[in-house]
Amino acid sequence: MGAPANIREINGSDLISALHLAQQAPAILGPNPTKATTSTSGTAEEYSQLEQLFLACLRTGDDQSAQACLDRLSHRFGPANERVMGLRGLYQEATAKDRAALEKCREEYEKILSESPVNVPIMKRRVALLRSLDRPTDAIAALIQLLDALPTDAEAWCELADLYQSQGLGSQAIFSLEEALLIAPNAWNIHARLGELLYVSSSAPDSDASRLGSKSVQHFCRSIELCDDYLRGFYGLILATSRMLENGQADERPSDPTVAPRKTLDQLKRFGLQRLGEIVESRSVDDQHWASSRSELIAAKELLNRFASS
Amino acid sequence: MSFLSKLVTLFGLILLTHAGYSAHEHTILFNNTRLALPHDIIVETLVAVVIVSIGLVLGAEKLKPISWRDWAGQIERDGGARNPYLGLEERYGFWDIRNWTYREPVLAVALWLCSGVSCICVEHALTISQAKRQEFADWMRGQDLPAKQ
Repeated sequence: MGAPANIREINGSDLISALHLAQQAPAILGPNPTKATTSTSGTAEEYSQLEQLFLACLRTGDDQSAQACLDRLSHRFGPANERVMGLRGLYQEATAKDRAALEKCREEYEKILSESPVNVPIMKRRVALLRSLDRPTDAIAALIQLLDALPTDAEAWCELADLYQSQGLGSQAIFSLEEALLIAPNAWNIHARLGELLYVSSSAPDSDASRLGSKSVQHFCRSIELCDDYLRGFYGLILATSRMLENGQADERPSDPTVAPRKTLDQLKRFGLQRLGEIVESRSVDDQHWASSRSELIAAKELLNRFASS
Repeated sequence: MSFLSKLVTLFGLILLTHAGYSAHEHTILFNNTRLALPHDIIVETLVAVVIVSIGLVLGAEKLKPISWRDWAGQIERDGGARNPYLGLEERYGFWDIRNWTYREPVLAVALWLCSGVSCICVEHALTISQAKRQEFADWMRGQDLPAKQ
């Protein structure tokens, strides 16, 4: 069966690949998907692939296949398994008809948590549900409670950063991402994300723009250092350096040693433009590999055109 | 392993076997006189070892990157799906399944920058981010997407 080999490749965020995966569901689940297999064998990899399939099916609205995946998982690990409980909660949320049903889901989570207060997947579901119900303040409080119990969860720190950012609390979001970076110091995408947050924060009128901008440049540089040809890193580097150069935040000899001098910024910008041009040239839009990040490529081209014309 | 490397390795192994057999015969024949091994057998053994090594090296699989940035760059060039830190941005544990957004940070910055500039890709991302799960399911069924090869 060729399907499991494909699953790994399409473990991405984009819709098209999730759709393709969900379309394969009947083939992967076999001819009789409603009946759970009696055997409890299977490698860890197979079950993580089944979980991916479950998520993709839920996402594309194929509730039947999702139910079949969930049945298999709970048959293997038992309904009291924390992770399976989390997935079941996700399924119930997805199939809930109205707000009242969602409130019921939330009460169920509260009940589970009152019995076992450190059920991490359910704690995370509760945060997500609160956020979905437009109660970001409660979601933040619940998430902080989670992080008090489990301060090494990088995923939770990233979610907290996202929540803070959605509430316009830039500096708190930056702090949360920095915490996440302490746990995963080599995560190039999180470095780029932090660079983006800093870049956005530096545009606020009452901020220390030159310091934030310079930090943003540093994080973009780090993401490029950690990952060759990282399109997102170069994109951000060009934006951040050109903003600093244009706004006159770059001095020949800055008083603050953490702020890069004008010459360095200029060199970084030219380097970024050159490399981004090379990357865009080497990646054709029609290439199958790039189907998922086509929009990134188009955005990069747009940026290059803007700098070429100005 | 390519055909050439197989051939070279095989040739080297034949030479090595030949040298071993010669040494064996030599010790049986000159057991009493205790003569040292002739130089040609020694040379043959060394040459055979070198040839076998060359054959194996030629036939080795493509080397995997050792340095972090090469390895990470390879992942990004393959589309980024194998990125071990992807989970930090996807955050499956916190998935808002009812109203999920299509998070694409580069686009977000692009959108924020060139708001007003008409850009097809940005509009596309926007329509997706507003789509609710059910709407997307309906859209998906109505869409005849080319199946992935």
